[in-house]
Amino acid sequence: MPDPAIDYGDVQGTILRGYRVDLARHFILTITAAPPARAFIGALVDGAGGLPRITTAARWTVKPKCFVNVAFTAAGLATLGVTSQQLATFDAGFQRGATSSTTANMVGDVGTSAPANWIGGLANGAQVHAILSLWVDDDPAVLESVTAKLRAAFAGAFSELSAHDAHALPDNKVHFDYRDSIAQPTVMGAPPRKAKHNAPDDQPQVPTGEFLLGYTNATPGVYSVQPSQLSTNSSYAAFRILEQDVAGFEAFLVQYAAQAGIDAETLAAKVCGRWRNGNPLELVPSGPAPVLPNDQLNDFTYVDTTNVADDDTLGIKCPIGSHIRRNNPRNQAIIGTNSTHHRIVRRAMPYGPRYDAKQPDNAKRGLIGYFINASITNQFEFLTSQWNQLATFVKSAPGPDPSCAGNAVFNISGQDVFLGVNDPASSSLTVAGCGANGAGNKAVTGFSRLVTTRGGAYVFLPSITGLRYLAALGTTPTG
Amino acid sequence: MANPLTLMLPIIPGTSVATLSGVLEQYVPQLYAGLESVGTVHYARAIFLDTSKANLLPTGIFSNGPFVIAIITEYDGDFDTYIEDFVSAIGDVFNAVLPYVVGGAALVPVANNVSAFQAFLAQNDASQQPPNNVALAESYTATVQQILAALPGSAATSTASPVPNA
Repeated sequence: MPDPAIDYGDVQGTILRGYRVDLARHFILTITAAPPARAFIGALVDGAGGLPRITTAARWTVKPKCFVNVAFTAAGLATLGVTSQQLATFDAGFQRGATSSTTANMVGDVGTSAPANWIGGLANGAQVHAILSLWVDDDPAVLESVTAKLRAAFAGAFSELSAHDAHALPDNKVHFDYRDSIAQPTVMGAPPRKAKHNAPDDQPQVPTGEFLLGYTNATPGVYSVQPSQLSTNSSYAAFRILEQDVAGFEAFLVQYAAQAGIDAETLAAKVCGRWRNGNPLELVPSGPAPVLPNDQLNDFTYVDTTNVADDDTLGIKCPIGSHIRRNNPRNQAIIGTNSTHHRIVRRAMPYGPRYDAKQPDNAKRGLIGYFINASITNQFEFLTSQWNQLATFVKSAPGPDPSCAGNAVFNISGQDVFLGVNDPASSSLTVAGCGANGAGNKAVTGFSRLVTTRGGAYVFLPSITGLRYLAALGTTPTG
Repeated sequence: MANPLTLMLPIIPGTSVATLSGVLEQYVPQLYAGLESVGTVHYARAIFLDTSKANLLPTGIFSNGPFVIAIITEYDGDFDTYIEDFVSAIGDVFNAVLPYVVGGAALVPVANNVSAFQAFLAQNDASQQPPNNVALAESYTATVQQILAALPGSAATSTASPVPNA
C-alpha cells in the first residue's frame, strides 16, 4: 500500500506529531452559548484576536511557543448543531460516550474507577462538550499567559468545568518510574520523526486510516462520517485521567517478587515488559543494563521461529501478559487478525508531584492525555476490553525450541497489571517457564488495582476543514 | 463459553439455484478458511434452504426458492468486538454474497459499512431473536485455542501472526 498524501495543514497536530514539550493544560468545557462557541472555534482556527492558532501537523521551521488543539464530545457536536442523523454516522463508542455504563463495564471503569467517581465535572458526560488542550515547551509563564488569553476568549461561550495540568518528568519517566514515550505506531504518510527521537519498531507501518478518517485502514476499508466536511483528516480519542498509586506499586513489587521467586526490579520489568530504564526484556532479558540507543529500544518482535535464540513465543523473556505485550502483541499470533488492526497513538503526560519514597505522601499523581485512533470501538475499546482485561486472546503456539515445552495459550493469565481491573480474587500475572501445559510457570496472584480512572471522555478531533464547518454552522445551510 | 450465530440470509426472490450454487461453490472455502483464521470459531457450516418447502430442504437443481442461505457457527468471545477482524477475514465473501441478499447490496463493501453490516448481522441472526435466544448447550467450556493447545500435534499450529514484513 503506497503512502497516501496527507494535507498536514488540515490535520490537528497532536494526531500525527508528538509535540515533545514539558507542560500541558487541558480545559474541560461546557458550551453555554452555541453562536459564540462557534465564533471561538473560528477564531482559534485562524489565530484571530490574539489567540494562538490551532496547531496542525504541518511542518514548522521554528518550534512554536505553544500548541493548541480542540476536541468535542458527541454532546458537544450536537450542541454546536451537528444533527442526530449525522451523529449516527459516527463511531459507535463515540456516540455512546465514556460515561455510559456499557462503556464503563467494557473498559474496566468500575468500582472506584466508575464514572460516577470522576473528577472535574467529567462524571456528568452530558455536560462535557469540549476539551481544549494547550501544550507549551517548558515556560510556566507562557502557559499562564496563553491560558489567560484563551479563558478571556471562551468566556461567555463556554463554562470551564475544570482544568488539568500535566508536566513531563525528567528522562521521560512516568510516576511508576518507567521511561515512557518509546513506542508509537509508524503511521503511513505521517511526518517523519526526528532522528534523535525515533525509536523504530520491527513492525509494519500502520495504514493511515487507523488514525485519520477518509483513508484506507487495516481492514481494509475507510472510516467516514457525515457530513463530509467533518470526515477526512479528522480522528477520535479517548481522553483519560489515570491516577497511579505509586506507594502501592512499590509495595506490590516488594511483596510479590518473593511470590515469583525474583527480585523487585525484575518483577517491575516482567509487569511492564521493559526495565524501568526503558530497555525491553526482549532484548535485555537478564538485567537492566545500560540504556540501549534509541534506535534499538523498540526494534524487536516476539516470535522468530527461524531463530530459537531470538524467539519468545512462550513469553519466557517478556511475559505474554506484560503491559507492553498486551497492548501491542507485535507478531504474536492472536485471535482475530493481528496487532496492526488495533494500534493507538498515545499522547499522555504525567500530572502531580513526583513521588519521593523517602517522604511518602498521598498527593494525586498519574497520567493524563489522549489515546488517539480512527475507531474508538475497534482500537481503544478493543484494546482495553480484550487485550487488557482478558487472557484468552492468544493463539495456540508452541515455541520452536524443542528443549522448552509449552504453549503460549497457557502462559498468560489475569489482566494487565497496570490497566486491568485486578480484583484480588482473580488478579494474576504469569511469569512463564518451560514446561508442558504451563507446568514451568509461576504466577503472581492476589494483588489489587494500581491505576484508577479519575476521568475520561470520548472526543472527536475535527480536521481544520471540520472546525471551519463547525464554526460556520448556524450561519449557512448545512450539508 | 461459546456463543451461537445462526445467520439467515434471505435471497432475493427469482435468484436461480444455479447462480447461488456457483457463488457458494466459489466462496464457501474462503469463508471457512477466513473463519478458521480468526481463531474463535469452533465449527461453521453454510447451508441452503428452500422456503417453498415445508421442511425447508432444497431439492437440488429442481429447487425453486425463494431461498435462504444459513451460516451457522459456534464461536468464542464477543462477535461484535471482533467484527472488524471478521470483516477483514471474510469481508470479500460477504461482498460477493450480499448483492443476492434482500437488503444486502447497500452494505457492499462491508469494510466501509461495518456498523451497518454489524446491525444487519444482528437483525438476521436467528439465535438473537426470541424465543431462540436461549443458552447454548455445551459439552465443554474450553476455547478453540485452548483445545488446539491441548491437542497432540499442536506444534503444527502457526506461531507467528500473518503480518507482512513482521
